[in-house]
Amino acid sequence: MDKKTVTTISYLSRLKIDGEKEEKIIKDLDNIIEFVDQLDDVDTSNIEPLTNPLEKTAKTRTDEVTAKNLKNELLEIAPSSNEDYFLVPRVVE
Amino acid sequence: MTWDTVIGLEIHVQLSTKSKLFSGGSTEFGAESNTHVDLIDMGLPGVLPVANKEAFYKAIRFGLATGANINQTSTFDRKNYFYPDLPKGYQITQMTKPIVENGSIKIVTDDSEKIVNITRAHLEEDAGKSIHDLFDGETGVDLNRAGTPLLEIVSEPEISDAKEAVAYFKAIRQLVTFLDICDGNMAQGSMRCDVNVSIKKSGDTELGTRAELKNINSFKFIEKAINFEIDRQIRVIESGESVVQETRLYDSEKNETRSMRSKEEANDYRYFPCPDLLPVVISDKELQEIKESLPELPEEKEMRYIREVGLEESEAKIISSSKAMANMFEEASTKTDDAKLIAKWLVGDVSALLNKDHIEIDESNLSSENFGKLIERISDNTISGKIAKSVLEEIWENGSDVDQIIETKGLVQIQDESLLKEIARKVIDANPDQVAAYKNGKDKLFGFFVGQVMKETQGKANPKSVNEILKELLQ
Repeated sequence: MDKKTVTTISYLSRLKIDGEKEEKIIKDLDNIIEFVDQLDDVDTSNIEPLTNPLEKTAKTRTDEVTAKNLKNELLEIAPSSNEDYFLVPRVVE
Repeated sequence: MTWDTVIGLEIHVQLSTKSKLFSGGSTEFGAESNTHVDLIDMGLPGVLPVANKEAFYKAIRFGLATGANINQTSTFDRKNYFYPDLPKGYQITQMTKPIVENGSIKIVTDDSEKIVNITRAHLEEDAGKSIHDLFDGETGVDLNRAGTPLLEIVSEPEISDAKEAVAYFKAIRQLVTFLDICDGNMAQGSMRCDVNVSIKKSGDTELGTRAELKNINSFKFIEKAINFEIDRQIRVIESGESVVQETRLYDSEKNETRSMRSKEEANDYRYFPCPDLLPVVISDKELQEIKESLPELPEEKEMRYIREVGLEESEAKIISSSKAMANMFEEASTKTDDAKLIAKWLVGDVSALLNKDHIEIDESNLSSENFGKLIERISDNTISGKIAKSVLEEIWENGSDVDQIIETKGLVQIQDESLLKEIARKVIDANPDQVAAYKNGKDKLFGFFVGQVMKETQGKANPKSVNEILKELLQ
């Protein structure tokens, strides 16, 4: 784990890391990865990847509209909104 | 230097379910902003998505119709990225075990047919919509579309030019509308496509670096965007540089593609299995039921029209090419015995009107019932073909009932032989010179007499009777 990787990951996850904590975080991440790397000792080539620890299958829905119009309530709890839309800082492609 | 083009398409097909993929929110198009947003679509804490079975059934119909493998156990993954119209910070999609894999579809271009293989088709949720130009310095977000089920259909990179890409898109659109899994409405964004384009030296086996073109939503733009991009890549390579793997936005106003750098910075989506969703299992019984409920597809229809109804191949092809057209033909056929005459009119006058107005038949004022009745009135000699044309035009304008138009305008064909004979005599008496010329062997003048009788009767005479009467009188 190097500084560049940590910078990329923190950008991708939108988590800001304080400069002084960076060294410690790199060390922590290295430890975690080393710990998890122990799994590499086990041969898993014939084992299907586990998608969920519960060995069950999904319950599904029939195709029905059950939602109510919550427009006002939802817009109200947003950090910024007007009467019609959620508002965010301008995003331009 | 000659170059080969290699194209692969990712088509997002909006599945026509009533509710969303993981919530009971409505998928209705064009509703007031943010009125179809469930707590699950918002990604609020503590909610749990539950998959909509119908979306799976629709995806499976597509898989079966393209001869694909159906994964009866399929799973969901999270694709992580940040964008304001994706409230959860990830999109739920099927990365590792998609519902459909390894299908194929036949495409037809001007001169040839070709099979294009389909790598996979997976279920995923749509994002909301960002509105950039309405507010000063801010972007508005409408989440009505967030969570709408999409089937992303990924082709193998086997398409060789822009024309084939359009043919492929058209074939997919035709199929999904026949299967009734998508309304195919491009203007409303029910089908959208990303195009991967690369070029390589003719004969090279290794693929070149590809660019992904986004934001393409019409047949015309697919062709234009690809052709622009091919030229651009050739220019880049021939000037000694190399193509960069990137996402490019097609700008239809300027007809150019340009780099979307913002997407590039974050192209690591860190997929992982979605812990909120267990594998969805489709039973053998369900699969069997879907198989049995598959509708007749265009090619099967075409064959049946030729074999059972006796249509010409060209007619059968046109009529079976769109679901709306095939429906019109089949429904109108229940109103009259003369299915061949229906086909003739559909391919002829009706198609001409459709082309003139640039619409599909289900957008016109012509109902199958009214159309069937129109044809029946021609078959039972109530009106002549010529009058029927003007009746069709009137229906086209305002959708009026056939019988009402015939009655109010007094268009009923004149069947009365003695009346027709009288009119024919009048015409003959009024044109002695032509009669003489005709009798001297100028056969073509026969048409002149028919025309005169038609004129006298304002087109209402039964042409067959007129022919017989004139032949008799002019002997």
